[in-house]
Amino acid sequence: MSARAGDTASPSRPEPWAWLPTRLRPREQQDHERQGRLWRVETAVLAIVFVLLATATVNDVVRQSHINERLIADLRSWRTYTHHDYKNVGVDVLTMGVTTKRDVVCGNTEPGPPNARTQICLVVTGPTVSGRRTVSGGWYLRPYTTDDVFAVRYGCFGSVTMGRCPR
Amino acid sequence: MSAAAAREPLPVGLGRARWAPAAASVCGLLVLAATVEIVLDGAVEHSALIPKQPAIAGWLSGIGERLGYRVFLIALLVAVGAYAGVLWLVSRMGEGAMSKRFAIALIAVLHAVLFVGPVLISTDVFSYIAYARMGVEHGLNPYLHGPSAIPHDEVFRYVGHDWRRTPTAYGPLYTLLSYPLAPLGLRGALWAMKLEALLASIGTLVLVWRCALARGFEPMFALVAVALNPLYLIYGLGGSHNDLLMMLAMMGAVALMLAPRPTGRREAGAAAVIVAGALIKATVAVLLPFMVLARRRVAPVLGALAAIVAGALIAYAAFGSHGVDVVSALNRDAAFVSTDSFANEIAHLFGKPGVFPIDHDLLKVALVLIVAHLLWRTWRGYDWIAASGWSLLAISVTSTWLLAWYILWPLPLAVVSRDRRLLVATLAIQGLFVVHQISPLLVPVK
Repeated sequence: MSARAGDTASPSRPEPWAWLPTRLRPREQQDHERQGRLWRVETAVLAIVFVLLATATVNDVVRQSHINERLIADLRSWRTYTHHDYKNVGVDVLTMGVTTKRDVVCGNTEPGPPNARTQICLVVTGPTVSGRRTVSGGWYLRPYTTDDVFAVRYGCFGSVTMGRCPR
Repeated sequence: MSAAAAREPLPVGLGRARWAPAAASVCGLLVLAATVEIVLDGAVEHSALIPKQPAIAGWLSGIGERLGYRVFLIALLVAVGAYAGVLWLVSRMGEGAMSKRFAIALIAVLHAVLFVGPVLISTDVFSYIAYARMGVEHGLNPYLHGPSAIPHDEVFRYVGHDWRRTPTAYGPLYTLLSYPLAPLGLRGALWAMKLEALLASIGTLVLVWRCALARGFEPMFALVAVALNPLYLIYGLGGSHNDLLMMLAMMGAVALMLAPRPTGRREAGAAAVIVAGALIKATVAVLLPFMVLARRRVAPVLGALAAIVAGALIAYAAFGSHGVDVVSALNRDAAFVSTDSFANEIAHLFGKPGVFPIDHDLLKVALVLIVAHLLWRTWRGYDWIAASGWSLLAISVTSTWLLAWYILWPLPLAVVSRDRRLLVATLAIQGLFVVHQISPLLVPVK
């Protein structure tokens, strides 16, 4: 089916680009996309890019699933260590570095709304054994602390902190 | 097969299939059911997927359960599957698969459900309201201050944590359009924003239909490809994003250019509408060079220049030099990295922890090369609408800050373009985005 009139420029107007070599001259908008050599090259490049993006996406889903398995172990470790079965426990994989796999798990020390009580943060390290990981240390945060940074930590404990609050 | 021919209904094989209309209806109703499920569960209380918000949908809260990742992802996957089914059937049979009346009724109900429901997924709408209230109620320039400048305003607690110190990156026209909503109060402004998104969506869909007709394509296919798209519905309309307003301007310009009798005035108007769209959200400006190259006339250039001058003067008068400096806001946002960005995924694929500054530079170079190739192709006769759509798709794929509603940008162009590959690529990228969401379904964290 062809495009309607008005969709393409008028073919009768004078050619202002005649001074350009033929290969550089503009062409009027085509009613149908020509499937020549350039079209095939573009399609091949698109297919390669799609394969790359699809591979990266699947790889990331698998990676995220492994991280989720680690987070489940982190939460279980926090609940076992504190003997609190709270729902609102947060895991931070960034504070101690993304690649270290040392996660920081924070939650209330007593019942209450999320972040509304003194928080205990545990640094969880090592492989998952029996669904849990090793608690290597930690610190406390005052209620309603939003940013877990060096300046607001206190009562630091455990081997990972060496008795000093980690920066 | 040419793009136009490929888009025509092909009754052979399915032409006498009596089950096809019923199957298309079931698929359409599944999209509706999935959307209703998300809205009803989202109305219960805020979850990780539903931003903290005033209880505007409280009357719906007694029906569903708190929305968790599992239910959300299952509903999303059902909607995606049903959408694929509708697309396939309508691409084969056109209105033979789904009547115009049924499609319009379905789309109207979907819009109504999302309108009365809570804000889904994103806190952006509260940033829009905060910037408006900063300017109108507090006398602050939203191009200089973030919402943290109004901590005692009732909207502040609803603004996303990451955006509280960030001045607005939206265009001055959008900021000015949002100013009349500020005195309505938080709830009034929120309803007005939802209404604005609803009307923008309806306008975009009407224009998609008209543009498809103007190009001789099957309009039913174009309509359902946009209107039943799960990302368009749940993320775009559900989040009341101003991207819908930008897409309305984009399709308005395309409709003007596809008018039966193109005149210099219409072409100048189309270019001015693109500039107006860019003064809402800058991304749409990418259409302008393609439009100018395709027409090679003075009118669009003059129309764009006039709109740029008018827009700059208004922006300067309202917000000073910061209101005009869209480039620095874009540069700031371009430095952000989202977990869903393809750049981040590729970095992980190659064993890197994330995106580095050199990667930002490489992505910018790649984007420039792609746009340059498309400009050359347009000069040599390639469909400028398709080239614009590819550019928008390239912007979202190369962006390190990719959000679901960014990959909606090329969709309305893809359904009216002459290059079928654009639609396939857009839907494929959207499919990858959805796949990237599913890890909580595979290994749920409790």
